[in-house]
Amino acid sequence: MILKTVLSGRTYQFQSVKEVLAKANEEKSGDVLAGLAAESASERIAAKEVLANLLLSDLREHPSVEYETDDITRMDQDGVNEAIYREIRGCSVGEFREWLLAYSTDENDIRRIRKGLTAEMIAGVAKIMSNLDLLYAANKMRIQTHCNTTMGIRGTFSTRLQPNHPTDDLDGITASLYEGLSYGSGDALIGLNPVSDSVASCAAVLERFAQIKEKWDIPTQCCVLAHITTQMEAIRQGAPADMIFQSIAGSQKGNEAFGFTTQTVREAQALLRRQGTGTGPNVLYFETGQGSELSSGAHFDTDQVTMEARCYAFAKQFDPFMVNTVVGFIGPEYLYDSKQVIRAGLEDHFMGKLTGLPMGCDCCYTNHMQADQNDLELLTLALASAGCTYVIGVPASDDVMLNYQSNAYQDAAAVREILGLRPIAEFEAWLEKMGIMENGRLTSRAGDASIFLETRGGIA
Amino acid sequence: MEQLLSVGIDIGTSTTSMVISRLSVQNTASSFAVPRMAITEKEIVYRGDIHSTPIREGELIDAQRIAALLKEEYQRAGITPGILRTGAVIITGESSRKENAQAASQWLSELAGDFVIATAGPDLESVLAAKGAGTQQYSEEHACTAMNLDVGGGTSNLAVFSSGRQAGKGCWDIGGRLVRVDEMGRITYISPRLRPVLDELEIPLHEGDRVELSPLRRLTDRMASLLAEAAGLLPATPLCRRLHTPGSAQLILERPADRLSFSGGVADYVYHPAGGDWFRHGDIGPLLGRSLYESPAFLHERLLRPQETIRATVVGAGSHTTMLSGSTIFFTDASLFPARNLPVFVPEAETEQGALEGDSVPLAAEADRFRQEYDTDRFVIRLARTGSPSYRTLCRLADALGALAGQLPAGTPLYVLTEQDFAQALGQALRRRIERPVICIDSVQAQPGDYLDFGKPLRDGVAVPVVVKTLIYA
Amino acid sequence: MTREELTSRVTQAVMEALARRAGGADGTEAPCPRPPLPDLTDPAFKAQVLVENPNNPEGLAQMKRRTPARIAVGNAGPRLRTQTYLTLRAEHAGAQDAVFRDVSPELLKELDLVSFSTLCRDRNEHLTRPDLGRRFSPETLEDMKKRCVRSPQVQVYLSDGLSSQAVEANGADILPALMDGLHDEGLRVGPPFFVRFGRVPAMDVVSETLDAEVTCVLIGERPGLATANSMSAYISYRATVGMPESRRTVVSNIHAAGIPAVEAGAHIAQLIRTILEKQTSGVELQQ
Repeated sequence: MILKTVLSGRTYQFQSVKEVLAKANEEKSGDVLAGLAAESASERIAAKEVLANLLLSDLREHPSVEYETDDITRMDQDGVNEAIYREIRGCSVGEFREWLLAYSTDENDIRRIRKGLTAEMIAGVAKIMSNLDLLYAANKMRIQTHCNTTMGIRGTFSTRLQPNHPTDDLDGITASLYEGLSYGSGDALIGLNPVSDSVASCAAVLERFAQIKEKWDIPTQCCVLAHITTQMEAIRQGAPADMIFQSIAGSQKGNEAFGFTTQTVREAQALLRRQGTGTGPNVLYFETGQGSELSSGAHFDTDQVTMEARCYAFAKQFDPFMVNTVVGFIGPEYLYDSKQVIRAGLEDHFMGKLTGLPMGCDCCYTNHMQADQNDLELLTLALASAGCTYVIGVPASDDVMLNYQSNAYQDAAAVREILGLRPIAEFEAWLEKMGIMENGRLTSRAGDASIFLETRGGIA
Repeated sequence: MEQLLSVGIDIGTSTTSMVISRLSVQNTASSFAVPRMAITEKEIVYRGDIHSTPIREGELIDAQRIAALLKEEYQRAGITPGILRTGAVIITGESSRKENAQAASQWLSELAGDFVIATAGPDLESVLAAKGAGTQQYSEEHACTAMNLDVGGGTSNLAVFSSGRQAGKGCWDIGGRLVRVDEMGRITYISPRLRPVLDELEIPLHEGDRVELSPLRRLTDRMASLLAEAAGLLPATPLCRRLHTPGSAQLILERPADRLSFSGGVADYVYHPAGGDWFRHGDIGPLLGRSLYESPAFLHERLLRPQETIRATVVGAGSHTTMLSGSTIFFTDASLFPARNLPVFVPEAETEQGALEGDSVPLAAEADRFRQEYDTDRFVIRLARTGSPSYRTLCRLADALGALAGQLPAGTPLYVLTEQDFAQALGQALRRRIERPVICIDSVQAQPGDYLDFGKPLRDGVAVPVVVKTLIYA
Repeated sequence: MTREELTSRVTQAVMEALARRAGGADGTEAPCPRPPLPDLTDPAFKAQVLVENPNNPEGLAQMKRRTPARIAVGNAGPRLRTQTYLTLRAEHAGAQDAVFRDVSPELLKELDLVSFSTLCRDRNEHLTRPDLGRRFSPETLEDMKKRCVRSPQVQVYLSDGLSSQAVEANGADILPALMDGLHDEGLRVGPPFFVRFGRVPAMDVVSETLDAEVTCVLIGERPGLATANSMSAYISYRATVGMPESRRTVVSNIHAAGIPAVEAGAHIAQLIRTILEKQTSGVELQQ
């Protein structure tokens, strides 16, 4: 294992695999904040060079968090298919990159090799890929999952409809939900981020979603993104949930800071098997985002891309229906500007797909970072072109509860038209039945939420 | 969560009834925000019987016997007046006369608890009935127009809602007890208000006559079509206007509502048409119900099934009159509550504006006139033009109110109601300036002519229940 | 908009432009000065339903009233209409200005506030280094000790946080209302000051430095699109560096369309009194 290189006559010596991984990252304010980032552009490239020459076995043998203290490391390491690993262990990270990009490597090849990978290998190769590399390689991979409908089929591009409301007012949520449906949003999920984490409030929203889904016979899945234990209690009390959601981190400590353990997720899965309304087999929903481990001091001096890959290693243990990174939500102390957000979005999507996850992306930004809607739209289009499973939809891009901007309900329709993509087939059939979509294009009826009102009102 | 017991008592022309409701109050704000208390659930926990309203002589109610009836109802419900936190007693229809109101106040004040007592004009009655029937809620939930017709003994009260918001109300002297018959089959009473209808139909009907079905049915058919006119289902005839109840809002509907409901005593005969003895109640109620049911004007696909029929008004009074103040309020002393029947003083627009800009003289002068007109020192000053006030504006306003308070007899509390949410700040500013007790409440709307009841504060004093009343006999 | 409507509007606009020109040809003003375009960020302007020929107009208007979300906005093909798009951009611009601008020295002078800075050297560092935004240099702390009262019952201060605009919009109203309320309660209150480039946990350092029983920071919130003026109050009993976040009592959403600043000041004064009585804050206070 060589941790030293010379670049333009200057020698760069690194102390550990972890340091190489961190410094090989494209610049991220979160790595700077953590004190892990390369100190110069040249040092960054030197680290990439050293990383490209490390073997996949070097990365497996140096997990970022100790095997003994961290259950994600244990699950990831113990889950490796040793036969396949033996085939690739001598391959350098640089060679692995070229293999992924090669014409001769197809989806099935990747599907097989995936079983021999760990999070650090996946993070490692992402760090020496360009943005277009990340898109090109990701585009080879599609991950299909099934809850009530099948998501991730090549040629589809889905959306999670996010009808948030600042006080969880049911009628306000419903109004936003109908607006989203009228734009053809919601084939991946109708999913609310609640303000209140009470069981009663969670159950009330789940009930409302189930009523609407049943009344209009909508082929999709519903979920309320309260804390996992809140959702479980609501389901135990009889609330109708297709899926359970949880934000996850890349270390056991990080997950504990989120207030749950691996066992909690297993219990959630078992609970849904007994009492969930989703058909399955995929019934979980996870969200991630670079930097969340650092914010809870659970990053173990590891850079945020590697920690993100470890989130995916955790997620894959549970065969989730959907996973997305909330890429620009965490703020400028982790991702400073649109350049860093776009890079992170492409990395996360690629790493998630390589891990074998149905990867989507909440392309978003907050108002205190240097980014705007133009940047977000480019990221969306880039990701969709590479087969990103789904994005988020909120009214006119403004989430009035979380106070950030994501994709507008309309965005997916434009992206689908540009790239020739479609919603999930059953959902598209439903949109046609409702007169919202025709031949893959929104109709003039689209965008009128009042088509979901029963009666034609008027002022007396 | 806190629960308030609320009583509703309706003393109508023909029947008297009582309900007890339980209002659940919860903080609906997140734990990182200023509390926002709201009534989150209304549940009727006791429904009293429908009693014939005891009549003393002529048209006067026998308030003493009504009090006895209600006392029994209280016992059956296991209620003592002391545990009632809010509610309303309303005297409705033809009973709502001054003498009756006075008698009721005299006999019922003890029963109605520390807090409640009032009367309703026809317009408030219309709105309460529609809320009790669930029509307002339907209109809101379905974003449509919906109308409720509460057809009682003496009057028919109509209220229209558009997407839950009040769009019109009116009252007509059309009811099931405007003609009464005795067990011997003789007509004992014909309301003078029906005279023009009988004249138009050329029906020679007089008190003491033997009851005949056919002319009475012609009468109720016409009464039904008059209601259809009122409801905008038929073109209005001059007779319809003549039967409009004096003192109620003028309502002319140009087109009918999307949905229609009936409540009141007659409603049961609209939804459950029954044959048999038409005069079993000693009046023309069942016959009027049948006329409404068979009227082609009232398309039955428009009909909503109400949540309440005969009890709609009393449920409206018990469950839908109470609102909560804003959740940051001010009072110097909890013993100031309950405070009842406080008239609302609404300064002229320029006067209020002047006070906000530091000119306190006109405000004090106007308040003085109001005190003389209403013959009281206890009244609520309602302020509505402040917006979200700056600290400077707040101080000026407090100075002006302080000057106004200086004219009141020592010890009389100063009551202030602001539409915008700043009562606590204003209250604190007033406490710094004046010696007397102060109550400062916000986020409630009231109009000139209204009276307010303030109930005992919720736990921790964060908000108070408020009933806005429109007294017709002040 | 139908084709006919569009044609007629364009024709009208052209005619008007020509009329204006005609008016200006001889050097005089056009006969009727035209008001400026409507403010894109005006709530009444934003409340408009922009969907053409909806199935149920009243119903749609009602849906829009039920949520502050930007619904019933219509569409231009699969994109936003111009008005919606520009309103979004206008409000994002406002939010960005709120973050990246400084609190004006005039306001601090008007409120008679001494200003202290955290370790952040500029706005950029403030945004990217939350660790520095919660710390002060030893010199600053010495200065703070010198200029402030030691061991007050209550220490209040303003801080820019993530929205200087929130301080500009609310500072002059919330601070006197709060101070009045505290003085009415007869509490020993240290003179308020301002902390530039502050993050919430800086209050823990303030609390330890001045030995305050209760510390309260009034700080700008991360701006949402339509709420760049929003301020929060964080209040803690005996705050110490490194204490859990759950020990802070928070009052958020302080702005004209949320809880007005003067009312928030009055409310917080009461809250502080309760905190002093119960000698605890945060989650424990709620229980």
